[in-house]
Amino acid sequence: MADEIQDEESAAPAAAMTPLHPNHIWVLAIRAGLFASLLVIAAFAADLGPLRRTPIPPLVLPLVVLALGLLATLVLPRRRYRRWGYKEGEDELEIRRGMVMRVRTIVPFGRVQHIDVAQGPIQRPFGLATLILHTAGTQGAAVPLPGLDHSAAEAMRDRIRAKIRQDLV
Amino acid sequence: MSEPAIAPVPRRLHPATLVARWLRIVPQMGAAGIAILATGRGTGITFFLLFLAFALAVGALFAFLYWWRFTYVVGVNEIVIEKGLLRRQRRVIPFDRVQDIAVEQRLLARLFGTAKVKIETGGAAKDEGSLDMIAIADARALRDLVRHGPRAADVAAQAPVEEPVLFEMGLARLLYSGLFGFSLVFLAVISGALQQLDQLGLFNWSDWFTPERADQAAHFVTLRLAFILVGLVLALGLIAGVARTAARDFGFKLTRTEKGLRRKRGLFTLSEVVIPLRRTQVALIESGAIGRLLGWYRLSFQTLGADQKEGGVQVAAPFARMEEILPILAIAGFPEPPPRQDFRGVPRRAIVRQAAPALALGALAVAASLWFDARAGIVAAALLVLAILAVLRWRKHARALGDRALFVSSGLLKRRLWIVPYEKAQTIQVSRGPIQRALKLSNLLLDTAGSGSLRSPEMHDLDEGEAEQMAGRLLALFYDARARVRATA
Repeated sequence: MADEIQDEESAAPAAAMTPLHPNHIWVLAIRAGLFASLLVIAAFAADLGPLRRTPIPPLVLPLVVLALGLLATLVLPRRRYRRWGYKEGEDELEIRRGMVMRVRTIVPFGRVQHIDVAQGPIQRPFGLATLILHTAGTQGAAVPLPGLDHSAAEAMRDRIRAKIRQDLV
Repeated sequence: MSEPAIAPVPRRLHPATLVARWLRIVPQMGAAGIAILATGRGTGITFFLLFLAFALAVGALFAFLYWWRFTYVVGVNEIVIEKGLLRRQRRVIPFDRVQDIAVEQRLLARLFGTAKVKIETGGAAKDEGSLDMIAIADARALRDLVRHGPRAADVAAQAPVEEPVLFEMGLARLLYSGLFGFSLVFLAVISGALQQLDQLGLFNWSDWFTPERADQAAHFVTLRLAFILVGLVLALGLIAGVARTAARDFGFKLTRTEKGLRRKRGLFTLSEVVIPLRRTQVALIESGAIGRLLGWYRLSFQTLGADQKEGGVQVAAPFARMEEILPILAIAGFPEPPPRQDFRGVPRRAIVRQAAPALALGALAVAASLWFDARAGIVAAALLVLAILAVLRWRKHARALGDRALFVSSGLLKRRLWIVPYEKAQTIQVSRGPIQRALKLSNLLLDTAGSGSLRSPEMHDLDEGEAEQMAGRLLALFYDARARVRATA
């Protein structure tokens, strides 16, 4: 409930945006989970070894790390997912992303140098892919849009490619 | 003279390359030798000399192998470079892909009458094709061949066209501009060198700066001596600035060529670069605090795929009056900056955002100075100054939407004015962090090709709604500008 209230406050401009595929939540969760479990293991190892020579009581650090890991794995993915959105316009793609740092990027199709459709190992079982638009820009040199259905990403790539070709003519 | 340049025979670099490459290895080897000697087990001067002789022989061998295995063929339509001892590399560069050929003559190269030729194709690779070194006549012939095609090569070689001069710096102005290049870099260089020696064990800080010596020195230090020392340091700083500027910008000359601006400069190292106008992205007018008071500015262009050494930014006029800069801007196709009243600043609450980090840290430092260590008070004072600077800087951050370009100005002492033509936009980005969100502020960036990530014409802390609106407006202006460019092309 608390999520929804907070989101309503700040999600107003995202109304017209297309959300990512819901499976992307799973991808985010698994990625966060893998990373968090590494940290938890490291924290337990540190707790058995070096930390015993410090005044920090046993199990404090591992439990803190575990709690943060669970937060990042179970709670945050859904929120992070909700911060993503895109709008495929006639001549440009608009992407909104970011939970802490909110970023809205507009990429005119005429500026796209080439397009990648990439699929990571975690994305594959969920049938998801990342569309990456490369421009000649500096900060916007590669604009990624993750969490698209693989065939949808490919269709989108073909549509954008057709528009680039038109632009060249 | 152009006859041999066209004949498709593999050619080697100028033999002077051997000496140049060999000499380049010597200082490293010498340093290595000294290092070994310093850590060394007291094997003495004979060992050092033996090592040096061995290193020099190896250096000579490598220089020879490089020279021997490096060949290039200048064909009718392309240049082919083959190099590498074990890993052979064959690179074909078609002439119609070449953006420009930069000819650079270092001091040593000038002694031998040779030059380094850099072939720029605008690709991402840093070292796309360089011939280091070939005879200066060959370099010029190659450049003419690429610029004017095989037929025009003779014409160009015989009757060099007089290019209109856009900007030139005489000796007086060069030296004057050097005064603004005041630099204390030499202090850093000296202390760096001492540290290096310290590491090698040839010089020891703690041996030198003992408390006793500091005590003795304190007796000598009178007010007058202190003044003299400070004066000396300042004078050296001025001299260093003048020397550096003079070495870099000696004989600065900017001329108009068919496709771009040609810049020649250098005292010891002569360099010649063409800034292709089609590839200029952004114009940047910079000024220092004192220089601005006296009306001196510096104009540079951000270009695509240009010499990466300067971060894709090429200086077109290092020290010029605004009246001299405006015609260059016009020739390069950039609009003139609007008058100051057309610029709009950022909302007042942006001060909070810009000064907040320093103030927060400052409060912590004050707390620390009260409870832990009084010296933290110095930190607090410094942070307070930072916060005040942030406020002053806020006043100088402004932008204007012109007919053809976006103008962004920022900086308190060193001020920068960016001119970004709308059609050069690559992406448009609005972003806001947590503090900005609370204050309803946003950054807006019109991203261009070849800009550095640290120095970009990003607008900070605009009103959130205004930033969103402006993003849409910039997009529309971008489409209009592109349509206009396409219509004229």
